[in-house]
Amino acid sequence: MNGHDRRSALPWLVLGLAAALYAGWATFPASGLYARWLTPHRLLVIASTLKLVYLLAGAAWAFQCRDRLEAANPARPAWFLLSLGLLSTFVGQLSLAPFQLTRNETPFPSVADIWYVLSYPLLIAALVVLLKAYREAGFPTGSVAERAAILAGIGVIAAIVAVPILRPVAGVEGALLDRILTVAYPVLDLVLLMPLALLLRVALRLRGSHAGEVWLLLLGGFVFLCAGDILFAYFQSLGARHLDPVVHATYILSYGLIAGGAHRQLELLQA
Amino acid sequence: MTTNEAVEVMARVLAPYIGDTMARSATAAHCQKLGIEAGTVSHEQLEALLGKLGGGLNIFLGRDRSASVIAEARSALAAREGSQ
Repeated sequence: MNGHDRRSALPWLVLGLAAALYAGWATFPASGLYARWLTPHRLLVIASTLKLVYLLAGAAWAFQCRDRLEAANPARPAWFLLSLGLLSTFVGQLSLAPFQLTRNETPFPSVADIWYVLSYPLLIAALVVLLKAYREAGFPTGSVAERAAILAGIGVIAAIVAVPILRPVAGVEGALLDRILTVAYPVLDLVLLMPLALLLRVALRLRGSHAGEVWLLLLGGFVFLCAGDILFAYFQSLGARHLDPVVHATYILSYGLIAGGAHRQLELLQA
Repeated sequence: MTTNEAVEVMARVLAPYIGDTMARSATAAHCQKLGIEAGTVSHEQLEALLGKLGGGLNIFLGRDRSASVIAEARSALAAREGSQ
């Protein structure tokens, strides 16, 4: 492995170690390591820092991708929207940081939720713009009937899988805003899944290529985002505290993979 | 040069960037749109096809990189033609 390879591998090693750290916390919360050294507050500080770093890096790299593409390139607005979506999530995370770093608590709902909710239309718009760009460039995105069938399939899966998962969360008593927000995130994820499912068709055909790597990372990141939001809904509404480490792990993986995808795309444009 | 040979050469050049499956399906789709059928393909038809593929590559690679990959494909096609 040469110097460049080692430098390229290091961020993935950090991401893998971070995921392992929180998986370890979820599995052995009473072990000496987590009881004495990696206390819940320290782990919250590490998670908060990693999320901020990945989100800011992802936003910066996505913006640089936008900057590298010529003005008439149809993918340019998509990278800008992705950058704004990540930046909005970063601001939300940043507004939670003082509470997490100094008081070991994560207020909910809070001003952070405004930024988190705002990020979804931006991320969804980014994917829709990319989908439109691929279709107009002549890449196989499927006929209208095929696309309608995929969307209908997602709708059916959402009805079968997501509704039973979210019913206990929606049924919990509590402040209306809390309940609306807790359900809103997974619902927004389902909307996000629609363009993602359509893009999966393109992404699968890109496998084994540089562009395929970009999509593998981005799609993986968005899938972890959806998983994180559903786990958060359970954690928040049903008081499932044991899910806290898994929620952190999924968000760290999500932001890390999306940032990695943006970085890989930037490398492709810079080469 | 036949259409199949041209598709083969182009797919080989484009595959590292957009994958073999996408390279072949995109080339085939553009051939269909441009009315390029099986059999011998003309120089003008190849240029039109390269233009379409370049437009698509722009999305992934940007204009400059896309232009260099298309130039690479053009050279590979010329080499193939010269060897026949």
